[in-house]
Amino acid sequence: MNRTLAIAALVLGALAAIGGSPYRAQHANVDAARLARAIAHEDDHVTALELAEWIRDRKPRLRIIDLRSEREFATYHLPRAERVPIEAIPSTPFARDETLVLISDGGAHAAQAWVLLQSLGYRDVYFLRGGLGEWLDDVMSPAKPSDLTRYFGGVPRATGDEAAYGGGTSAAVKAMRRRGC
Amino acid sequence: MTAPLVDFAAFSAASQLAIAVFIGLAFGFALERAGLGDARKLAGQFYVTDFTVLKVMFSAIVTAMLGAYWLARLGVLDLARVFVPETYVLPQLAGGALFGIGFVLAGLCPGTSCVAAATGRGDGALTVVGMFAGVLATGLAFAPLRAFYASTARGSLTLPQLLDLPYGVVVCAIVAIALAVFRIVERWERRAA
Repeated sequence: MNRTLAIAALVLGALAAIGGSPYRAQHANVDAARLARAIAHEDDHVTALELAEWIRDRKPRLRIIDLRSEREFATYHLPRAERVPIEAIPSTPFARDETLVLISDGGAHAAQAWVLLQSLGYRDVYFLRGGLGEWLDDVMSPAKPSDLTRYFGGVPRATGDEAAYGGGTSAAVKAMRRRGC
Repeated sequence: MTAPLVDFAAFSAASQLAIAVFIGLAFGFALERAGLGDARKLAGQFYVTDFTVLKVMFSAIVTAMLGAYWLARLGVLDLARVFVPETYVLPQLAGGALFGIGFVLAGLCPGTSCVAAATGRGDGALTVVGMFAGVLATGLAFAPLRAFYASTARGSLTLPQLLDLPYGVVVCAIVAIALAVFRIVERWERRAA
């Protein structure tokens, strides 16, 4: 047994016993003032139109996290979205250089998940303020059509709701909208 | 390659393969230098006359464990991203017993059989062929094994979780156990020699 290596291992091992936990998540630490400033400056969320541009422009390292149930996700989800239940957020390893956009039904769960991720040290996190309803209303079937609506295959509301969201399962999707007609 | 480096430094698939080849060669070289390409030496472990396998493996575990702990503690490595294989109690006990029988019969394990084959040993080459034949046979006969394969699942278990002890305390205890075991087996080897 090499004495020097054995002593080095022993010292590193002994220090480990008082070194604390190596996991980052357990060092979750909320700088409440910083979060409050981010909220006040509206740096915490994106609008549906901003998000639509990010998706269209292939923003690098963008991840769209959908917090809704499996059934809701199956009915409709944003292109490139992936489903992560909110209880799995603390244990899901995201990369530090990824831009995370959180989506829930009305936006409340997404905002709460934003706080969780901030407390775990993720900085480049945003939530869709008005939830999926905002996406459906402002991108997929706005009153005034835009390039983005066409890009995502939506249909302006004026031409009739039946054809919205590319036809198909529009009744189920329509039920998710904020503004009924 | 497992999560952290790939995710953080974003290696391309080609450079990941190149790194894998380099690490593989270095691993094989280290095994050969430790004498683990020799079936007699490995079988000696089972007859408690040669503790090289135990010493090599246990030092590798201690080195990797201390490295992982301190790199994570210093913020270089995100331990939550490191892949932990899942535990299946009964299938892994049965597989371990089968592995041990093969190990003592051949005098080689998967990694060392490759080393033995690479150094021109016939038994090593045959063990590699047998190993791949076994992998293929298991794959072909997997349907009836599937239920057993997935039984007694415990998820990703780590010793700190299992023992409900702080991570660093477990690290310290394993280092102490390793050093004590090294001392005992070296005394044993000297007496046997």
